[in-house]
Amino acid sequence: MAKKKVKETTEKSPKEEPEYVRIKFNQPRRYDWSTGKYLGHFYAEAKENKKIVGNRCPKCKEIWLPPTPVCPKCKVDMGWDWRELPQTGTVFQYTYLVFPLWDPHYGERWANPYASGIIKLDNGVFYRHFLEEQDKEKLKEGMRVKAVWKEDYNERGQGPSDILYFKEIGKE
Amino acid sequence: MPNRLAIVGIGQTYHTSKRPDVNYAEMTREAVMAALADAQLSIKDIEATFMANMETFEAIYLPDHQMAAEAGFYGKPGLKVGTGGTSGASAVAEGFYFVASGLYDVALVIGCEKQDCGDTTAAISAAATPIWGKGATTGAIGEFAKQALSYMKTSGAKEEHAAMVRLKADRNACRNPYAHLKLGLKSIEDVLKSPYLVWPLRLLDFCPQSCGACALIFASEKRAKKISKKPVWVADIETVHQEPFRAGSFGDPTGKETYTQHVACERLYKRNGITKPRRDIDLAEIYEPSNWEEMNLYEHFHFCGKGEGWKLIEKGITEIEGEFPVNPSGGVLATNPIGATPTIRVAEAALQIRGDGGEHQATREVKTALATALGGPNWTVMTLLKRSL
Repeated sequence: MAKKKVKETTEKSPKEEPEYVRIKFNQPRRYDWSTGKYLGHFYAEAKENKKIVGNRCPKCKEIWLPPTPVCPKCKVDMGWDWRELPQTGTVFQYTYLVFPLWDPHYGERWANPYASGIIKLDNGVFYRHFLEEQDKEKLKEGMRVKAVWKEDYNERGQGPSDILYFKEIGKE
Repeated sequence: MPNRLAIVGIGQTYHTSKRPDVNYAEMTREAVMAALADAQLSIKDIEATFMANMETFEAIYLPDHQMAAEAGFYGKPGLKVGTGGTSGASAVAEGFYFVASGLYDVALVIGCEKQDCGDTTAAISAAATPIWGKGATTGAIGEFAKQALSYMKTSGAKEEHAAMVRLKADRNACRNPYAHLKLGLKSIEDVLKSPYLVWPLRLLDFCPQSCGACALIFASEKRAKKISKKPVWVADIETVHQEPFRAGSFGDPTGKETYTQHVACERLYKRNGITKPRRDIDLAEIYEPSNWEEMNLYEHFHFCGKGEGWKLIEKGITEIEGEFPVNPSGGVLATNPIGATPTIRVAEAALQIRGDGGEHQATREVKTALATALGGPNWTVMTLLKRSL
């Protein structure tokens, strides 16, 4: 059987190298997310009562943040034992962002620079959040801090973000 | 007992920050064709493909759907896996499971990532839910900044030691034709003058964003001996996961101490009779996102005692000419196409066993090598390779 002659569509490879094309990215769009039962309770307590709550394992008695249906340590069902956490603590470790970062969920660029830290709340539970102090010379491990909430009820309902930042105690 | 299997083909692209000349299916094809050429096989010989890619890093979904033809799994099983930083090693694990089970005799394992498309750090921040874990995340860099701070504090390592890790990576990368960053750094000061990303991590303390792909061909024992004169045996593999938000072991919120590396080592070393890793293993290709983390990982993998990781780098033990070379390829600090990064660790460890490392072949003889991967909330994959079983 004779070979079919295939007509060449391109005689030779293109002269120009391909280039990037820029894709237009338009916000906003609707984006819903379910908290689930446990995180939902945390959200409700933050919004309604300006409280930080964690849930306690029936076996090892450890309090977990974020709240969880299964104990990360014991792998048992957590039940519904909620504990209010202190809103004061000590900076266990801090760092600060120097390079700019895009937030893919909100399509916005983050503030730059900003400081964040691991805060050891006064009952020993660790909580990661932003710090008010932005001056890296003034940031210190062991700094005593307290949570500062969004005061407007209608602005709350964003869970962890209902706390604006942790602020140094005594610095008014 | 699983069936024995070996790596019989190795291929990778060159790695760089921008590849406007190809899309990522075309780029992946380059690695697949290189691996087939290395094994002297054709795509018809491949029974199944396991590919790794972190979808969302390129801001798309179903990358496997985009490249069935280019990567050669059109009309065949083609399973994609995405497990964050460990993706490329999870694909290796998949290949291992399927060939070791006897289900397939010849399988292709691919890792690929094209980071000039999309925004990886943004996507990593999105690995946290939009409602928890974003606050202090700042992608992977923030996480490793915490570990670096913690390592510094507990081990007594200085930033000069971290700089030495980068200098080693750079010297090795300059000898590796496939490596991405080849900076020709001369001194510790060259590293210490680079700008901060997230304090205390500098630009040169952290891995780059690369475009690239890597492909491996796995074959069962019977086929491997026919296909390759120098098969590299995949002796064992271990992978361990855990939940997010608790990256460190319990009681360490900084993530320096880890649960999954501890468990993975315990299982892999025990099964393979490894009691002194630095004696029983000849070389390691580890997934080190930062130069601080490399020193921390020496300790986690038991290459040295606690708090002594920085001493290995100070004494030159992990240099290419050293007693126990780590990352003669230049490692992740030099080259990081995320989905491919752990596949490259396995590929480079296998090249060292074959003696095909070329300019970056380790001075010492390599009969047993370890390849590791790190990703997600400190997930771990460890692969043990041997010249003979």
